[in-house]
Amino acid sequence: MTDKMKTNPMLPYLGKLVEVKDIATEIKLFRVEMLNGGGEAFHDYKPGQFAFVSAFGVGEAPFGIANIPTNGDATLDFAINRLGSVTTDLHELGVGDMVGVRGPMGNGFPMDKFKGKNLIVIGGGIGGAPLRPVIQTVIANRADYGHFQILWAARNPSLLVFTDEYDNWRATPDTELHLTVDQADNTWNHDVGLITQLIERVAPSPENAITITCGPPIMIHFVNRVLVEKLGFMPEQNYVTLEARMHCGIGKCGRCNLGTKLICVDGPVFTMAEVGALLESFL
Amino acid sequence: MNYLTHQELAAWLDRLAQEHTLIAPLDIAGNILYRPVSDTKEVVWDFVRSFMSVKEVFFPPTERLMLMEKIGQQVTLTETLPEGNSIIFGVRPCDARGLLTFDALFIENEPVDPYYARRRENTTLIGLACQSVGASCFCTNVGGAPDDPTGMDIMLTASNGGYVAEIITEKGEKISKKYPVFDGLSEIRPHPTHARKRELKVPPKEVWPARFNDDFWAEMAERCLSCRICAYVCPSCRCFDVRDEVLPGEDGRNQSERIRCWDSCNGIPYRRVAGGHNPRFMKNQRLRNRFFCKFYYFPIHYGPVSCTGCGRCIDACPVNVDITEVLGYVGRRK
Repeated sequence: MTDKMKTNPMLPYLGKLVEVKDIATEIKLFRVEMLNGGGEAFHDYKPGQFAFVSAFGVGEAPFGIANIPTNGDATLDFAINRLGSVTTDLHELGVGDMVGVRGPMGNGFPMDKFKGKNLIVIGGGIGGAPLRPVIQTVIANRADYGHFQILWAARNPSLLVFTDEYDNWRATPDTELHLTVDQADNTWNHDVGLITQLIERVAPSPENAITITCGPPIMIHFVNRVLVEKLGFMPEQNYVTLEARMHCGIGKCGRCNLGTKLICVDGPVFTMAEVGALLESFL
Repeated sequence: MNYLTHQELAAWLDRLAQEHTLIAPLDIAGNILYRPVSDTKEVVWDFVRSFMSVKEVFFPPTERLMLMEKIGQQVTLTETLPEGNSIIFGVRPCDARGLLTFDALFIENEPVDPYYARRRENTTLIGLACQSVGASCFCTNVGGAPDDPTGMDIMLTASNGGYVAEIITEKGEKISKKYPVFDGLSEIRPHPTHARKRELKVPPKEVWPARFNDDFWAEMAERCLSCRICAYVCPSCRCFDVRDEVLPGEDGRNQSERIRCWDSCNGIPYRRVAGGHNPRFMKNQRLRNRFFCKFYYFPIHYGPVSCTGCGRCIDACPVNVDITEVLGYVGRRK
């Protein structure tokens, strides 16, 4: 066998669940401590990269990694919405149980390129998960970035993710957090309406700015439209992270192509200028 | 030059079958399929094209990637790489070209897929040039030929009642040098069979993007049933799914296997994402993707065109979606 064949890219590392907590309706945060070589593989992954998480006996699915590496300590966070068979089985697991993890995969956000820019992070529902590493990066390196606005949305208050971190985000210098939900309850005292309405009200300036959006495809489409048509952003300034069902994460299974791009290796992070230039629509 | 009579070749195959796993075209309930041979008398020598390609040997319809066992909270994983060597007799040139597209995907494009790479490394191909060209064959239009030895380890071409044998690679030499009928590596190309050449040009990849939004795809898709047989019989379609299956427990053991199985972009849920959104919900979008993959996306990503001109999809399609009709349209339209 040649050297290249010594590692099997389809074989996951083992990870032990060290914390499992409910963070929203049907959404749990899983903290995974990497074992047997996984620590080495994940020692310097980038915000926006993703990994396959296995529920052994059911299958594996890709998830955005929801934290940044801390002091080379390879403990990975995944915020997982219970939707299909793999996520349902993962929701049954508790502290001490094992999962499989393959990765890190994908290009990630070019955080170095964002240095010195004003950042607007726009998250919809569980789409907030891959944006949390961006928020953590800015907080940990506050002087590297300009004004920071977080626009956070969900269908209703019970679906907002990372609520226990909002005070910390708000306390960060030169940082704003704006919340909106489609349907409020009686305790809600923030905006009500779609994320596009919130963007129009907050009206971030396109001057020296970058937006970073994750959410359902239809939200990405309309967020970009508002930013470009109402606020004067260029599509090149609007970064998004796309999702696709995929089965390998290494550019082989064919599942995630969007025209000539493979979301797993060419993405999942693209600018809307790149997305707009593709043959095929993500919608 | 190596020249073997039919009897000499049959005797050699017998020897090979005794010492190795020999896979050859067999008649299975009326279909020619490549299967392990127990009696070389059952080998079918005279056929135009097998129902399934040799892809099955290297990239099985379903294969195990690993075994998993849970004991309490602990999990053990066992990698299950394929073992053993085999020799395939009677490989057609189009199928060998199909393997070259898989080489580009699984071996030349890193990371290497160890399952495919191992099978490829441990398998020797004995090619058999086509003596006749099937009604739906169009290999010569995609760069192949009925006697093309590309990708073979040994190439046999029928001639004057016997066979001309070209020993092309070291692997081919290894399985032939023990037998006195061969006299070493040959340098002589056997005479070619007469290939019927259709008036069809495969449009270069540059012309494809301008055809993306044409009504043609919707018209073609009106017939399509999304049955996916085209991908199933294709020697170069490679889409796969990965999932786990629970194994019957022995003594209460909690064991499961991770499998990889063939898939097709023509299936409705293929591109569906969490939350139910499906950017390829329409049949014409899926049908278009298959052809764009073969002649535009795959060449961009991995190099070769993902079509060998075998024509299996044309014969298998229940509603006559014809890949040569698609190529004709894309090449013709200005």
